[in-house]
Amino acid sequence: MRKKWKVLLVFFIIGAVGLCFSGPVLAKTVKVGGIMDTTGATSDVGKDYAFGMVEAFKYINENGGINGNKVKYTWFDYGYRIPEAITRYKFLKRMGVVAIMGWGTGDTEALSPTVNQDKLPYVSASYSAHLTDPAKSKYNFFFSSDYSTNARACLTAWFDKKWPQHPDYGKRKPRFACCYMSASPYCNAPIKAIRDHATMLGFEVGADQDVSLFALDAKSQINALKEFKPDVVWHGNTTMSVSATMRDAYSLGLGADWIINNWGFDENLPRLAGPAAEGAIGATPCAFFGQKQPDGNYYKNMDKVVEYAAKYNPGIPPEKRLIRTVQAWADALIFWEAANRADKAGSLDGETIKTKGFETMRNFDIGLGSSPVSYTATDHRPTTGCLVQEYRNGAFNELSRVDLKARWPEKWANEWQGW
Amino acid sequence: MKKLTWFLILFMFLGLASSYAMAPKPSASNFKDPVVSLELFEVPQYDGFWYYSNKVEPTKGKADNRGAPLPMSFLLAIENPNPYPVTLEGLKFTVNVDGFDLVTVNNDDMYIIPAESTDHVRVTTMITARSALLSLMVTGGFKLQEQGMSPWEALEKWWTGLAGYTQPLSLKGGTAEISAGDVSKVLAFELTSS
Repeated sequence: MRKKWKVLLVFFIIGAVGLCFSGPVLAKTVKVGGIMDTTGATSDVGKDYAFGMVEAFKYINENGGINGNKVKYTWFDYGYRIPEAITRYKFLKRMGVVAIMGWGTGDTEALSPTVNQDKLPYVSASYSAHLTDPAKSKYNFFFSSDYSTNARACLTAWFDKKWPQHPDYGKRKPRFACCYMSASPYCNAPIKAIRDHATMLGFEVGADQDVSLFALDAKSQINALKEFKPDVVWHGNTTMSVSATMRDAYSLGLGADWIINNWGFDENLPRLAGPAAEGAIGATPCAFFGQKQPDGNYYKNMDKVVEYAAKYNPGIPPEKRLIRTVQAWADALIFWEAANRADKAGSLDGETIKTKGFETMRNFDIGLGSSPVSYTATDHRPTTGCLVQEYRNGAFNELSRVDLKARWPEKWANEWQGW
Repeated sequence: MKKLTWFLILFMFLGLASSYAMAPKPSASNFKDPVVSLELFEVPQYDGFWYYSNKVEPTKGKADNRGAPLPMSFLLAIENPNPYPVTLEGLKFTVNVDGFDLVTVNNDDMYIIPAESTDHVRVTTMITARSALLSLMVTGGFKLQEQGMSPWEALEKWWTGLAGYTQPLSLKGGTAEISAGDVSKVLAFELTSS
């Protein structure tokens, strides 16, 4: 009997001590990596995205993590340098991450074959259409309409809403040209598609103008455009050089409308371009930071975005935050959903995250004003269209929600994937 | 003798348990914000200021746009005024010189700061004249233009000034994530090095 008590006492002590330390020991951590640009050529938009991604993973962890397991999110700044991104990728892979939240088009496309080989899901902020064909890019994902869809949608919206109001409507073909940094993989990714779209809609297409991502002066390009007299110009850069180009176009009296890819169209555009930003039209994969719906309520999940920005970056005033934060959340939320589905299906390895996670999503609603997201084993185009907004009278307003699949189903199904 | 041994074990356990129970527990009401300060800024290695464009053929290796590295090391002091230990879960700040952001530094390492004491965290980063040039041109281009300054002039001034400890810098938008028990808090800080 005495022996029994002794054994019980020993078990009691071991149990009590064990209870004190059990939490940290038993907790399972899921490692996720991040490769961000907070100092490089796209840092004007990359820093806000990087901060938004950290905040989104805080939210994910505070709301159950991946089926109860915490995410350890580790990110690096690669300064928009492809060799640095490759080095960071190798390091993160060595760390044992289950997925990587990536950034630019150059590095994402450069890493795509490696990611395929490693079976490591790579959720990027590059929305290049080249990444949407699983025959080539099996493990690349993002939440947004791709750049080519953005470009086609913006041109369609302008053609439908603006061209009929032009005095020359019905008298001649509308004239179209492009401005972008030709050497940048991000900038040139949708050019083939938008030129194809312009031809299809019956535009006269002028020569492209090469505008650096670092341009503070685009007068020579604007003067070249003035000879062609475009009605509408696509700008495929990021906000800083888009603003510089629009300022010069305004001062030199180009008189064309601007349609802009999503990374050049944000809350900083009117701040930097001033009155030249009036009437700018752009692709918006989701709502702007803190943007409300026409009924005055936040878009679904936007309240969380605003709350976590204030909570985890209290030193940055809300008026300095951008749509980039919202885009980061959207990419984090699709990863979260995919990882939860994969974990429930039995494994958190890359292949299961891809096949039992991402590729099972059908019209998944992220909220945040974005379009519902779907992926299949043969098509990684997340959405079939894009919300096109216009900046006018001090605010961004919906111009048109263009659905390319609904309008051109044959071309969408058979011609437009992957470029 | 055996009885005495078991009695001592039980006594020790009860003593430990009671001291654990009597120690102040972290709560939102008794939690005092730790204080973050910049104790030292250091350039651990300096290679001068230089830049080669990709048009220059290097003696070895491939031609590319390359600039001088500038490592920067920050020794931060974290003072914990609480009667219990706190955990520093992560740190983040942006290095700003003359009003221009140079680099954002992120450190996810965890540190436990003992009760009522100060601990130190060293955060090291490195920029190059190339990365700083890109950052400057894309985020500060208009501002530099207004000031009538070229990016090259600005970079050379900062490189030589920081290495010579004559150029002040600021840590902006700083955050330190601190936790203790169920309490967690994000502290905002802005610090300056003279």
